[in-house]
Amino acid sequence: MISHFPSSQCAHNQTFVPNIPTTSWEPTLCTRALSCCVVFLSVRYLAKLSSVGSIRDEETCERLRGLIQRQVQICKRSVEVMDAVRRGAQLAIDECQFQFRNRRWNCSTLETMPVFGKVVTQGTREAAFVYAISAASVAFAVTRACSSGELEKCGCDHNVHGVSPEGFQWSGCSDNIAYGVAFSQSFVDVRERSKGQSSSRALMNLHNNEAGRKAILSHMRVECKCHGVSGSCEVKTCWKAMPPFRKVGNVIKEKFDGATEVEQRKVGTTKVLVPRNSQFKPHTDEDLVYLDPSPDFCDYDPRSPGMLGTVGRQCNRTSKAIDGCELMCCGRGFQTQEVEVVDRCSCKFHWCCYVKCKQCRKMVEMHTCR
Amino acid sequence: MAGAIIENMSTKKLVIVGVTLLLFQAFAFMVGGLIAPSPTTAVHYLATKCVDTGKHQQETKWFMPWGPNQCTKLRTFDEAMAKKIEANNIVFAVHIPLPNKEMSPWFQFMLVILQFDIAFKMYNQIEEGAMATIDVGLAYRDDTVSEWTEMAHSFEQRKLNCNFTTTKTFENEGRYYECDLLPFMEVGSVAHKYYLLNIRLPVNERKKINVGIGEIKDIRFVGIHQNGGFTKVWFAMKTFLTPSILIIMIWYWRRITLMSRPPVLLEKVILALGISMTFINIPVEWFSIGFNWTWMLLFGDIRQGIFYSMLLSFWIIFCGEHLMGTTLFATLALGRGQVKMCESSVSANKNFAQPDLHPTKNLQDQTERNRFSVYWKQVGPIVFGSFCLFIFDMCERGVQLTNPFYSIWASDVGTELAMAFIIVAGICACLYFLFLCFMVFQVFRNISGKRTSLPAMSKARRLHYEGLIFRFKFLMLVTLTCAAMTVIFFIISQVNEGHWHWGEHTVQVNSAFFTGIYGMWNLYVFAIMFLYAPSHKRYGDEQTSGQCITGDAGGNSGEDIQLTTTITHVDGPSEIYKMTGKAAQE
Repeated sequence: MISHFPSSQCAHNQTFVPNIPTTSWEPTLCTRALSCCVVFLSVRYLAKLSSVGSIRDEETCERLRGLIQRQVQICKRSVEVMDAVRRGAQLAIDECQFQFRNRRWNCSTLETMPVFGKVVTQGTREAAFVYAISAASVAFAVTRACSSGELEKCGCDHNVHGVSPEGFQWSGCSDNIAYGVAFSQSFVDVRERSKGQSSSRALMNLHNNEAGRKAILSHMRVECKCHGVSGSCEVKTCWKAMPPFRKVGNVIKEKFDGATEVEQRKVGTTKVLVPRNSQFKPHTDEDLVYLDPSPDFCDYDPRSPGMLGTVGRQCNRTSKAIDGCELMCCGRGFQTQEVEVVDRCSCKFHWCCYVKCKQCRKMVEMHTCR
Repeated sequence: MAGAIIENMSTKKLVIVGVTLLLFQAFAFMVGGLIAPSPTTAVHYLATKCVDTGKHQQETKWFMPWGPNQCTKLRTFDEAMAKKIEANNIVFAVHIPLPNKEMSPWFQFMLVILQFDIAFKMYNQIEEGAMATIDVGLAYRDDTVSEWTEMAHSFEQRKLNCNFTTTKTFENEGRYYECDLLPFMEVGSVAHKYYLLNIRLPVNERKKINVGIGEIKDIRFVGIHQNGGFTKVWFAMKTFLTPSILIIMIWYWRRITLMSRPPVLLEKVILALGISMTFINIPVEWFSIGFNWTWMLLFGDIRQGIFYSMLLSFWIIFCGEHLMGTTLFATLALGRGQVKMCESSVSANKNFAQPDLHPTKNLQDQTERNRFSVYWKQVGPIVFGSFCLFIFDMCERGVQLTNPFYSIWASDVGTELAMAFIIVAGICACLYFLFLCFMVFQVFRNISGKRTSLPAMSKARRLHYEGLIFRFKFLMLVTLTCAAMTVIFFIISQVNEGHWHWGEHTVQVNSAFFTGIYGMWNLYVFAIMFLYAPSHKRYGDEQTSGQCITGDAGGNSGEDIQLTTTITHVDGPSEIYKMTGKAAQE
């Protein structure tokens, strides 16, 4: 049964788990790891927080699996931010699954650790995406939390004038995004930094983390309001508004498509990543980089978790792209079924929380990979 | 206007004055750029979705987004859907400012912009011309524990101007519409420490209220207020400038009254310019720190409007007065006029309300020009344009005194009306500039015409014309420089991000623009009052009254002496008559 259900497959609240319909080809999605209240950060080693509703006190920090010592310290120091970080993690998973819904690797998460399986522990393109989107999502969620007043110390402690209430009165505070990005830098990057700059994986991850945050920063929308005499632009105030996260996801996905394969080289005393093919132009700060080519993701591999294969995945018969049956099923062919789909039709909506629909049944051809 | 200080001043002194003014100018820029923070701050707020559980039906309850007594919150509307919470029970709560901060009267004003985050859904799209009806309440309190006091409550309508930039397919569900910013609230004084906004979007299907506005995901706000630091610097500047302009104005007017003749129009206009500058300078805003005067914002607009229209009128009249002198000469120099006139003693006793009592026709014509009414054609557009803007401002900020959520742009009729006012004002501005350019062009044409004939003139006449040309060119140059500076800095401040990093220092370009330009126009007015005041050199001659010049052909001994003395204390137009006498002689 297929049904359109608003937004994520993951719910925060256990109580309405049964309401959530699953699509047939997503057996390993978040739906199974339903607690989903996972601290996603440092991404791949997401600590699951099934038992804990929210991160409220310092003790919870200790219990979070997957965090390294330095992160636990940051967690204790800024417990109030951790709730936002957790939401950021969820946001990243949702966005990843949306962006990869039509690809062989569809960003499925596992209940075990690491959540994304082996795909992400190697230096592949997919890993690059996951790192970028999670660094971005943490920055995004923390910034949002700032704006809604959940965090007490954001904005003002990164500006020279803005340390105290007097500072706020003198010159206002710096943008919340600055705090969000800075927090993402300290919390997400600390993991790689603790490994030391030398390893090429650390370099790659740090680069991709930064690229993810840049995807937000370079797509901030500048908005202005004129409020001079008679509303003239004599006095104009401009500010930067964060793009919607879907847009950030799209940008990172584009970067994923154009990611550069790199290798580590020594320039002077420092190690840097340079394109493997010297004819390619060097990558910028905003581009994603990867070290290892990706596997084809065709077959289920019991030895490497996360390699689920494409058997049973739905595909598009007419498409020639990666979601087409040809590519998706890796040439194994597909089976076609007539399925009765219960869809909603002639609905009446309110802006929130009210939908009154008729149920329409229709027969749909569904193709699944063998 | 003859014999102004600027003409009689030695070049050295003039340079000293110029350099002093430039130093003050640089100081004004530096105060803004280095001491003051940026003029305004924008703070982002994300509305918290509270659930009205309906337990507090009888009294109006205020919902707090955070802190103690915070409301029951919803993370997403999917949660509300699952819990079967209706749209009417959802309250968007915003606390201004963010935690651990306080608002302050130094912020002067607070305006809030509203923005909806509306997700695209194939079956729940925004309808054409959809209006959002907002039930909004604003409350304040001055400490963190007391009850909220309602400040305003209103039902407002805002037009959703949203477009979806990508194709409307299932693929793109969940992307956000791009919506215009909506003006939401404007408060003219920030007298309280904490403000709370509670917003509902009630749905009524029968009355078609809030139907077809898409799937709202979030409501975001941007709160804009003036920075306290900037306000302090600004006030300090005003407090310093007020006495400076006031003193020079009194000095200037004393000079005028010391003369034996009544003041001419141009002198009066310069005084009016000084008065309007003082009016804008007087730091009445200090009261806004102690009193909750919401009309201060409107009052500030009015003061600025008065100054601008005064400045524009001044330019026109200045050009006009210089133009008349020369054109008159041009016609009379041809030898048509053989005028006999008797000047100073008459004019000295004249009441300046009726300056047109000159005996001859030409003289009457001359004094006509010395009257304000001659300029109605040029000043008319200024007055009418400013009046339009005044009405517009009253419609917007005036109504906001009673309802801070009111916006003239919210309704179609209001938008049309506002646009009409602005367009009319724009046309007036264009008309004005056409007149001004034409007048300046005429003056320059006259000047270039005069230039060629200057060497042939007698000394006195030459001196007079050179003085006239110099005065005009000087003001022209200064005015153009000031206007160009204003435009350039305006563009810089618009294009720029607002601050430049210069080594370790941050230069606040926008603040520098405001203080610098404000200081500049003050210095401009100051300089005009100082330099165009009558010179006191040869004061003694002023007492020689009853100079009669016979303008008919024939010898006139001592003409040069007589002319130079009259130049110093007789106003421009009348002395031209003496010139014309000379012209005829030649």
